[in-house]
Amino acid sequence: MDTKRSTYSIFYAAALGLVCALALTAVDRATEERKAANAQAEEVRNILTVLGVPFDAGDSAAGLLETYGTAVTEEERGDSSFYVYDNPDAGVLSATRFEGPGLWGPVEGLICLEEDMRTIYAVSFYRHEETPGLGGEISSDWFQGQFRGKSIVDESGVPGISVVGGADGISEVDAITGATMTGDKVEEMLNGLIEELVGGGGHG
Amino acid sequence: MAKTDIVCATCVGTGQGPCDGKGVQTLKEGVWISNPISIQILGICSALAVTNRLENSLVMGAALIFVGVGSNLFVSLLRNVTPRRIRMIAEVAIIATFVILFDQVLKAYYWEMSKQLGPYVGLIITNCIIMGRAEGFALQNRPLVSMVDGLANGLGYAAVLAVIGFFRELLGTGAIFGHVVLDPSWYTPNQLMVLAPGAFIALGILIAVFNWISGANKAEAEGEAP
Repeated sequence: MDTKRSTYSIFYAAALGLVCALALTAVDRATEERKAANAQAEEVRNILTVLGVPFDAGDSAAGLLETYGTAVTEEERGDSSFYVYDNPDAGVLSATRFEGPGLWGPVEGLICLEEDMRTIYAVSFYRHEETPGLGGEISSDWFQGQFRGKSIVDESGVPGISVVGGADGISEVDAITGATMTGDKVEEMLNGLIEELVGGGGHG
Repeated sequence: MAKTDIVCATCVGTGQGPCDGKGVQTLKEGVWISNPISIQILGICSALAVTNRLENSLVMGAALIFVGVGSNLFVSLLRNVTPRRIRMIAEVAIIATFVILFDQVLKAYYWEMSKQLGPYVGLIITNCIIMGRAEGFALQNRPLVSMVDGLANGLGYAAVLAVIGFFRELLGTGAIFGHVVLDPSWYTPNQLMVLAPGAFIALGILIAVFNWISGANKAEAEGEAP
């Protein structure tokens, strides 16, 4: 066989491509179910965490889904959907998603409010591409933990959260040193959501 | 087992046997003499990026071994029927198939790890070690010895990653495999080791140690020679 001929090259490339594609299709099909379950469990884990629902961290995807099904109800209020959980320590909590551009890529997160729909119970930034050690700190416990007990309206009733240095107000959280841009973006996306929440539909 | 040992020991340098008499040499080359990271300084990007924990390093090493063995085998099997003009594209296609295979299995059965390694498993497709072995070895050698070569280079890579991962996790978090071994009461974890600069420092020291050992070996060998 003359491997120098163009027609041979074309057929060779097509055959190799076909074989590779078939192999990949097969493995994709074989793992499809587990991958989908993992992705779903990941979502559920984020929601359970932000609502303070107790769950076993090592639990399987099916176990997490079951916990979620019994503890959390989904509610549509206005345009946004809420995940509601009656927390024995903190009362009825409602969580909703938010997203927006970060410095390097999209940031997605969940915010959980207490019954008054003003006090923050928890905030979680579960997906982002910020610089590790700088902007990436938004998903660290110390940064997310600061939000607990803060209010989405300030002392004079103006809605909004500020990410600032030396935070002391009821609606202020400490910024991350060296990550001013990420802080600004996070503030922006949270305030977009807060405006919607306070502006109407928040109380359902 | 014993029979294999005899075959491996006796065929060295004869040009015969399943590895054409160079199985042992190929293994030595990949793991130590021409170690892809510490001697050839290849595959540095992933070696720096994923080594902040020992477990990540080991999984990444396993990925490289799997891809190296698989792609070398197929590149070697197809070496006489692959048109020269498109051989590199063919190599990349084979490599990419093995990488995605590993990535998909990781996503399905080891989700947490898959999330931590992020894009670095996929980036093995462009890893110069794998491409280099396919182009520089598998294309000229028979399948079995090509697999040995892939295994050797994967092992060499994995070993270096494991050493860096061990020290970075130990010094950066005071833990090994997530178990605290350096008591926080007297050891303050050095954050630098977890971040990228720590990887550069660890790798630099490691390469220096490698050079020092191989330099010492060489001097010894020369000293012994008449």
